[in-house]
Amino acid sequence: MVQLETPFWSRRGMLRQSAVGFGSLALASLLGHESQATESANPPVPALPHFPARAKRIIFLFMSGGPSQVDTFDPKPLLTRDDGKPLPFDKPRVQFNATANLMKSPWRFRQYGESGVWVSDLFPHLAQRVDDLCMIHSMHGTNPAHGGAVMKIHSGSDNFVRPSIGSWVSYGLGTENENLPAFVTICPTLAFGGINNWSSAFLPAVYQGTPFGNASVPSDKAQVKYIRNSRWSKAIQELQLRRLAEMNREHQSQTGPEASLEARISSFELAFRMQSALPKAEDISSESESMQKLYGLDSPVTANFGRMCLMARRFAEAGVRFIQVTHNDDKVQWDQHSDLKPGHEKNAREVDLPIAGLLADLKARGLLEDTLIWWGGEFGRTPTAEGSGRDHNQEGFTMWLAGGGVKGGMRYGATDDYGYYATENKVHIHDMHATILHLLGLDHERLTYRYAGRDFRLTDVHGNVVTDVLS
Amino acid sequence: MSVLMCVILLAQEPPPAEASTAEASSSESTRFFETSVRPVLFEHCYKCHGPEKQWAGLRLDSRDAILKGGDSGPAILPGKPEESLLVRAIRHEDDNLKMPEDGKLSEDQIADLVRWIEQGAPYPDNVATRTRTRDPEHWVFHPPAEQAIPEVKDRAWPGSPIDHFILAKLDAIERAPSMQADKQTLIRRVTFDLTGLPPTPEEIAAFLGDQSPDAFSRLVDRLLDSPAHGERWGRHWLDVARYADSNGLDENVAHGHAWRYRDYVVSSFNQDKPIDRFIVEQLAGDLLPFDGEAQQQVQLTATGFLSIGPKVLAEVDQAKMRMDIVDEQIDTVGRVFMGLTLGCARCHDHKFDPIDTADYYGLAGIFKSTRTMDTYTKVAKWHEHLLPSAAASAIQAEFDAQVSAKKQAIEAFIAEADKQARGSLAADQAAPERLDSRYPESTKMDLAKLREALSTLETAGPDLPSTMGVTEDDVIDVAIHVRGDPLKLGEIVARHVPPVISGPGRPAFSSTASGRQQFANWLIDPQHPLTARVFVNRVWRWHFGRGLVRTTDNFGLLGERPSHPELLDWLAQRFIADGWSLKSLHRLILNSSTWQQSSIPDPQTLENDPENRLFGRANVRRLSAEELRDSLLAISGRLDTAVGGPVLKVKNRGYLFDHTSIDLTDYTSIRRSLYLPVIRNNVFDLFQLLDFPDPAVPTGDRVTSTVATQALLMLNSDFVIQSADTLAERLLTEQESNAQRLAALTLIAYGRDATTEEIHSHERYLAQIEEALSGTEQDLTARKRQAWNALCHTVLAANEFIYLK
Repeated sequence: MVQLETPFWSRRGMLRQSAVGFGSLALASLLGHESQATESANPPVPALPHFPARAKRIIFLFMSGGPSQVDTFDPKPLLTRDDGKPLPFDKPRVQFNATANLMKSPWRFRQYGESGVWVSDLFPHLAQRVDDLCMIHSMHGTNPAHGGAVMKIHSGSDNFVRPSIGSWVSYGLGTENENLPAFVTICPTLAFGGINNWSSAFLPAVYQGTPFGNASVPSDKAQVKYIRNSRWSKAIQELQLRRLAEMNREHQSQTGPEASLEARISSFELAFRMQSALPKAEDISSESESMQKLYGLDSPVTANFGRMCLMARRFAEAGVRFIQVTHNDDKVQWDQHSDLKPGHEKNAREVDLPIAGLLADLKARGLLEDTLIWWGGEFGRTPTAEGSGRDHNQEGFTMWLAGGGVKGGMRYGATDDYGYYATENKVHIHDMHATILHLLGLDHERLTYRYAGRDFRLTDVHGNVVTDVLS
Repeated sequence: MSVLMCVILLAQEPPPAEASTAEASSSESTRFFETSVRPVLFEHCYKCHGPEKQWAGLRLDSRDAILKGGDSGPAILPGKPEESLLVRAIRHEDDNLKMPEDGKLSEDQIADLVRWIEQGAPYPDNVATRTRTRDPEHWVFHPPAEQAIPEVKDRAWPGSPIDHFILAKLDAIERAPSMQADKQTLIRRVTFDLTGLPPTPEEIAAFLGDQSPDAFSRLVDRLLDSPAHGERWGRHWLDVARYADSNGLDENVAHGHAWRYRDYVVSSFNQDKPIDRFIVEQLAGDLLPFDGEAQQQVQLTATGFLSIGPKVLAEVDQAKMRMDIVDEQIDTVGRVFMGLTLGCARCHDHKFDPIDTADYYGLAGIFKSTRTMDTYTKVAKWHEHLLPSAAASAIQAEFDAQVSAKKQAIEAFIAEADKQARGSLAADQAAPERLDSRYPESTKMDLAKLREALSTLETAGPDLPSTMGVTEDDVIDVAIHVRGDPLKLGEIVARHVPPVISGPGRPAFSSTASGRQQFANWLIDPQHPLTARVFVNRVWRWHFGRGLVRTTDNFGLLGERPSHPELLDWLAQRFIADGWSLKSLHRLILNSSTWQQSSIPDPQTLENDPENRLFGRANVRRLSAEELRDSLLAISGRLDTAVGGPVLKVKNRGYLFDHTSIDLTDYTSIRRSLYLPVIRNNVFDLFQLLDFPDPAVPTGDRVTSTVATQALLMLNSDFVIQSADTLAERLLTEQESNAQRLAALTLIAYGRDATTEEIHSHERYLAQIEEALSGTEQDLTARKRQAWNALCHTVLAANEFIYLK
């Protein structure tokens, strides 16, 4: 490239030359600083992590629609016994729909592994891995509607647009691979908050999630927008970039001090590298047949979700911090207001084997040590019947964690005898967020960002780390 | 010096040459103090040991005060927590000294205070002097004082009173402003500024050829008169008004009629509607007298401002939904018109500004007495005003006719069916009262179908012209919601405006009206300390890229102080004196020497003011998402300049996004970006990438980020590639030689003449591409065309296309 004489004003520009990437935290913060024209010149420059991290990255397996706790991981003998009877205590003041009497689970529960953790017959493969799972049975949230609840799980807020948890993590930790984004989300749903579920909101744009496709796209077609050029060959693009750099240097020397001119020059170089790095990270064709089989790619039932899980593992290996995989099809996947039995059976079949495969694969590679897995939906379902299904229930439901820093084979917290309300060791969504940040080495009370005159955090003014589940 | 201190100094005086990086090391302790120590002191100690009370002679709101201590001696010994009285008190080690009195701090809080003392108890005390939290004497709560125009050394430089204020500050540090920008730079800058579009080669030639002294001010007048002006400046206001064509949040349904509010804003700006009037219309247009249907429609449409915010439409808790909507309105009105974060006071007294929870609920009464929603049952429905007009009457009449025709058809059908049923009766049978039970099955089904069609038609209602907006509801005063909880009600608060805002007379609220009109009139009172200041500061931000108060939406204690407080006050008063005329304000600013400076700084001024806090040069500015897209369409000759109208294909209240995740919005239009749908939760990706604001919240100060995904867009998007193709086509057909083409390209894309050297470089580049294509493209004409496409693409991707100087 042509090196022109550096104009006298560009020292600061040089400083932030590589701040356009996904890399170095300090530089990224500097970018945040300079692009944050609204706010004070006092950007948060977190000295992070706050303490040693137990996990370097996280894979969030989001079961959109709300899987039923009493049919998956939280067995309730009294629910079976009292099938068809009224719930012996009050339903919540705020319910999504009216529900009738108690309805027992159509699935049998059994104990597995050394830990004897209960799993229903919906998850035969995952059941083999319970000794790695930490069940949290006492989850509860605040919103009984999909929209609010999905936003709450992703951003901690159900009525404001706030940075997604993935954006907070990228902001806190940056990425390990400067050619890849720190936060990717595979086939996310565009309903119920849409892009706000991976947006950086008021955090600098560099921290937003990069979507691969969306829920209307099969995972083998999921791509990052604009990553491919439909017109120019690589050779022509290289010529274009070289000329572009020459023109930009010439322009810079005549324009005046503006750091983003330099940043934009670098951004084209990075974009060019990303064009090859991103598709490569996504491309599973180099994976062996047996590996693809482990994730269920050989079966039409599991192939779509299995591919997402395999992509997730590849991103984890490549250094992406926050990887979200969404189980959603053209319906609100786990939302069985009716036809619980066929619906949950179909859903569980699609994810059971791939998730078990992902856990096995990560473990075999030694990646489970420092990769946190987070499984769950935006809420659970009522033990009471809504026709042949169950209604939304944010009062008590199960999520599970596995991997970096959490105890395996554990059951934490509990719901009441029928599985309606979280009762023991209640874990609010804010608490879950605080715990996840903690495992990643981030103090949820100190991971803040000043915007519109106040310091914001993922957990707002709430959140307690659930220390009992830490290994 | 702490970073925070820097901020305060920056806010008050010219900045030191090298600002923050060196202080980064202390930023962590400052952050620790601000996040873990000050809040504890504030929450648990200041009440008795702060500005208002000093029990036992002790204050804890500055380091000096803490070190000095109270009746029992110094409160702390820096670095020695174990020997500090404060630590003994908070640990409850001494029975006679247990603090705070209302309950022991948590172990974490105690540990934080201990750690802070270990660190030497750093206390960024400038913050205390700056903020004096909840300070009713803070400048923003008092009307601007009359400002004399300052004297300056160089009397030749100022072209406007504004310049005196700017130059006086530069004089104070003995530094000079920049030279005036050249005419090519100025016409490009001002055309984008006022219309959001690039100047055409003809417009550039006309301006360069105009040697008269008032050439520039006549250029400004021409641009202010163009319809594109309202489209550009209307969009600024739409940022602030959190305008969107969809609800967003949980139920992303279409605001099918929001476009009427958008067009109202555009035409208000084009007409130079006085801004005080503009404000009142948006808050209380439905209550204003009107002269004829047209004016009534305009005023009803204006109230869309209060209605277009995002709402959780499937919120099951209806009481909560209702207060959430009121909250969104209070917060928006507070930020937009007063630069105050009133929303903070919903759950607790505002921590930094003297706005109490009672003041919040005093305002909440106004908005709860206002009808925004027709129903709160999920999915809730917002209110719309029907817009009476001849066309509407015709639609209604047509609809009524359809309904009545269907009813008649049903009656006729029944009559006929009855006749047949009666006919089927045996002669001696008495006719039953109702014959329908005797209809044949097929007749029953046909009748059911007819009735269903009628019911469908009646439920759908006529598609009358209507507009989102608010109206009056039952008038009530609202009780304080303890911690914002609609189930925990405290005392009822009479509607009132925050008493800390001095200047205008306090409006009286009646039991027969919500009080929106009184509230709006109070806002535009010339004595109101905030409304005009906040507005002129927004305008300054939109012209210069940075406000005199940088935090355009927060003038409170956590906002920044103005860099030029006297200028801000002078502008506010001048604006009011000019009848709140925005176009007069534009002329005042654009004709100033300050605005017309070059972006190349005086080296010494740069040294002293690298951030350009003193406006001693023009800021280099990247085009907004809309300007970039509109420019790409304009220079390739494709821009459709049609004005106004609806933009959605989804019907009103229909879902833009549902569980299928299929995008039902079409962005292929070649109209100005203003007329692309603004879909919350899923903003058009080109906009998203280029910092279009989140349309769910008011934004007066868009950020400009520079990220690699923007480069991917410029390199790979079909839209950019097609724009380049069209431009290349235009050059190849309109111009004779390569040199002419390259000159035209530079003029069209960059608004300037090409240099000889530049033309040669471009020619070499064309040859390189042709050579690289020679392996794959055998046809020479096609190869040449491709090379031009690639060149145009490069020119459009370059910084010069997307940055203004």
